[in-house]
Amino acid sequence: MNFLDILALLARGAGYTVLVTLACSATGLIVGLAIATLRRLRLPVVLPLLDVYTYVFRGIPVLVLLFIVYFGLPGIGLKVPPLLSMVLSLGLIAGAYLAEVFRGALESVDAAEILAAQASGLGRLQVLALIELPQMLRFAVPGMVNEFTTVLKYSPFAYTVGLPEITKQATTLTATTQRGLEIYLAVGLMYFAVFRILLIAVRWIERRYRVPGMVPA
Amino acid sequence: MSPVPLIQVRELVKDFDGQRVLAGVNLDIMEGGIKVVMGPSGCGKSTLLRCLNRLVEPTSGTIHLRGQLVTGAGVDVRALRQGIGFVFQQFALYRHLTVLDNVSLALRKLRGMRRLEAEQKAMYELARLDMAAHRDKYPGQISGGQKQRVALARALAMDPAVVVMDEPTSALDPLLTREVAQLIQRLHGEKVTLLCVTHDVLLARSITEQVVFLDRGVVRAEGSIEHLSSAHPDALIRDFFGRESGA
Ligand SMILES: Nc1ncnc2c1ncn2[C@@H]1O[C@H](COP(=O)(O)OP(=O)(O)O)[C@@H](O)[C@H]1O
Ligand SMILES: [Mg+2]
Repeated sequence: MNFLDILALLARGAGYTVLVTLACSATGLIVGLAIATLRRLRLPVVLPLLDVYTYVFRGIPVLVLLFIVYFGLPGIGLKVPPLLSMVLSLGLIAGAYLAEVFRGALESVDAAEILAAQASGLGRLQVLALIELPQMLRFAVPGMVNEFTTVLKYSPFAYTVGLPEITKQATTLTATTQRGLEIYLAVGLMYFAVFRILLIAVRWIERRYRVPGMVPA
Repeated sequence: MSPVPLIQVRELVKDFDGQRVLAGVNLDIMEGGIKVVMGPSGCGKSTLLRCLNRLVEPTSGTIHLRGQLVTGAGVDVRALRQGIGFVFQQFALYRHLTVLDNVSLALRKLRGMRRLEAEQKAMYELARLDMAAHRDKYPGQISGGQKQRVALARALAMDPAVVVMDEPTSALDPLLTREVAQLIQRLHGEKVTLLCVTHDVLLARSITEQVVFLDRGVVRAEGSIEHLSSAHPDALIRDFFGRESGA
């Protein structure tokens, strides 16, 4: 097996890494947004539940939750496939962290603008959708990049539940070829490349939606 | 028979956690009229304005708009708010939206106008306030005086029954005071009903001679600044209006 073959196999693993990262980040984004929005609406019964969620999911290690989902749930008859297990562990934990990022960013929205929007006759949900969320998402970019990066760095855990992501490929290839140093260096470079591409994508979106002269209140 | 006021405030009371901020305010605003309410900081001017569109819930008392009771249960608060154009102290433009979108947003979302129609109406209001050329700028890119004009355009776009302005000069360079007064007078000339609260005597004087003096939650005096500053029996009131600025 020449090094090009090795790289090809690693690249396929990198595809799984990207898949896991995107799936978990997207889940985190949706869950985080839902929590931050619901919290903002101050619904009396829901509020404590949201607090419990963020409290628990920020406190539990990713690997422990992953094993509970993948190895534990089959014990009660629920067999969860590997990618879904990642989403239900890493994705939900990312959601709890992103909820906190969004909570902070929402606090940076100028209260006077919210009042002005209400004064114009817009309803609570309209104010949220038209004023608060669009501003908040812009303020939250640094925190989001941070969390997506964390998700990327936790993605190798997918290997423990049998997804052939890049680290898994590297371990197998090292065992058969004994070229561990080159392989792991290549793995490091690929992670770095994925990270850079992620960053470029985020920067592109950020520039696309940048508002001149807007800073958090 | 005297005409019915557009807005009629009667015995308006507002308590904030046991503190009486408005203690029985009475106020009339005539259609097409202009009313300037003055008073020291903290006397309840902003609270009074916010009771008009129920951003603040009055503790007691009544407010009628065009003869309709707007305080109390069962009132469509969102419809009420659409009929009152509010210009906030810091203007409160939506920072993530362009000048044009700031003015057209409520037209699209509340009046159900299509974008083109809403933008035409918004451009009409912006042109009226000499801000048409700035339509694509963001609030962070224009001056305080320009922000105020956009905020006014945003309020006027909804064709409100009354335009309410809270301390229109407090966030601006004092040199702009006369310009603001001229703007307000021009709108008055165009038959816009205006209610303006301020502690700035210079501004009030440049807008109109007749003012209402609010202090410790009630209307203490009403009349010409000339009279209030020289002949009013209360020394505190004479003193307040005697200064060039109430700051
Ligand atoms: N939401 C509120 N909660 C508690 N107190 C308030 C609130 N809004 C205003 N106040 C109090 O009411 C008083 C009058 O405030 P305000 O109407 O803003 O005065 P002005 O606009 O004349 O300066 C102040 O003492 C202020 O602290
Ligand atoms: Mg005030």
